[in-house]
Amino acid sequence: MIVFDRVSFSYANRLILGNMTFSINADERVAILGGSGEGKTTILKLILGLIRPDSGKIIIAGEDITEKTENELRETRMKFSIVFQEGALFDSLNVKENVAFCLREYTKMSEKAIDQRVRELLRTVDVEQALEFKPEELSGGMHRRVAIARSLAAFDPAMFLYDEPTSGLDPVNADNICRLILDLSRNGKGFIIVTHKVFDAIKVADRFMFLHDGMLLLDGGKEKLLRTPIPEIQVFISELQYTEEGKNV
Amino acid sequence: MNTLKIKGLISDLQDLYLLSFHGLLGLTRKPFYFKDTLEQMDYAGAGSFVIVVLVSLFVGMALSLQLAAELSVLGLKMYTGKVVGISIIREIGPVAAALVFTGRVGSGIASELGSMVLGHQVDTLRVFGVDPVKKLVTPRILSAVIMLPALTTIGDAASLFGGYYIAVFMSHQSAHVYWSSVRDVLIFENVFAGIVKPFIFGYLIACISCYMGLSTRGGAIGLRSSTTRAVVASIIMIIVSDFILTRILLYALGFSV
Repeated sequence: MIVFDRVSFSYANRLILGNMTFSINADERVAILGGSGEGKTTILKLILGLIRPDSGKIIIAGEDITEKTENELRETRMKFSIVFQEGALFDSLNVKENVAFCLREYTKMSEKAIDQRVRELLRTVDVEQALEFKPEELSGGMHRRVAIARSLAAFDPAMFLYDEPTSGLDPVNADNICRLILDLSRNGKGFIIVTHKVFDAIKVADRFMFLHDGMLLLDGGKEKLLRTPIPEIQVFISELQYTEEGKNV
Repeated sequence: MNTLKIKGLISDLQDLYLLSFHGLLGLTRKPFYFKDTLEQMDYAGAGSFVIVVLVSLFVGMALSLQLAAELSVLGLKMYTGKVVGISIIREIGPVAAALVFTGRVGSGIASELGSMVLGHQVDTLRVFGVDPVKKLVTPRILSAVIMLPALTTIGDAASLFGGYYIAVFMSHQSAHVYWSSVRDVLIFENVFAGIVKPFIFGYLIACISCYMGLSTRGGAIGLRSSTTRAVVASIIMIIVSDFILTRILLYALGFSV
């Protein structure tokens, strides 16, 4: 589904990704880990063609998207459903209008049918009560849930992309979002979750990729992540070990 | 370093030109975002009404005060209305309204679009297959091009009333003389010169502000910087284009310099 072939990307004279090569299948549950500014979100943006790599090829469903125009990329983007960091809800629209955005833009559904579909989606993510709320009236967790509902309304995606879906949330809300992410992947649809919270990544993903200084330091399963001798990753997952020890006590 | 700055400036100008062109092109292609345009017209027009009237009123009063003082020394006080009228309609009215519009609407556009960029809302539009230029830029250009001329006309009227108040109640001139000399200058050439400018100013303010907003990078400081740049660049462009337009219009309308 997704192939990165020696992809490099720089921003403001700083190398963000250097010669990155990997592939991800549509049914995989992948977590991309790393510190702030290590290029995790950049990978999602490259997958969607929102930014172009300096060199290398990005192949989505067998097609090289690196030279595609904005119009040509539309079809590629429809294969994915993305939830950006903090939801990226449109401030000027209420929850119902946010979720109905694509339905109004691309379908000829009646207002009644749109209303039913929006309520159904909000029920799926458990925020039906917030139908008339403005984004600024929502809590962090509700924000992410509404964003997930909106992304589900858009198209029928082959894969979900989540950019820091649990950042800034308390453990209970973060856990609820993780459950929702897992629920949505039950029908065999994979996802890529970008996060710096190892604990949340462990809960949802089977494959872990760790970015550091523009390099892919690790790519493997949970065991490989937990038993890695790489010092940069050991420091990063120490939070997890502390939590595990706490649990054992 | 200087070469890099010059390259950056040229690249910015090129991008601004392209955005301005595509923003206009959006008017000719479906979908048309009528609701967004009406919302922008309400924000830009109705929202700026009071401040434009207030600023214009005091500009007219100050101008009338200055002219009455000078013209009375020369024994030409009866020309106050004429000079106020020409100055306001041709020159000061359009520029004053455009500057107020920049401060209120231009900065608002830049900061709104900038925060949409930083909050990934613009990326979300692109992912959903919606052209951000059509959805965000075209309605703002259209609303500025419609509302600024309307605001300028209202502002001109407020300035003339401000001038009237000073001329009649402080300079003790005849109201009839003031209004008849104002009426003398309300000829096609003057009105046309005064009404063409706000269309151009509105287009420039909207394009520059949208461009600065959409090119925002780097968090709160980037947002502050893009808003400031939008206002400063718009003000400079208003003043420069006012000079150029004045020269062109004077020539086209047959005025000799």
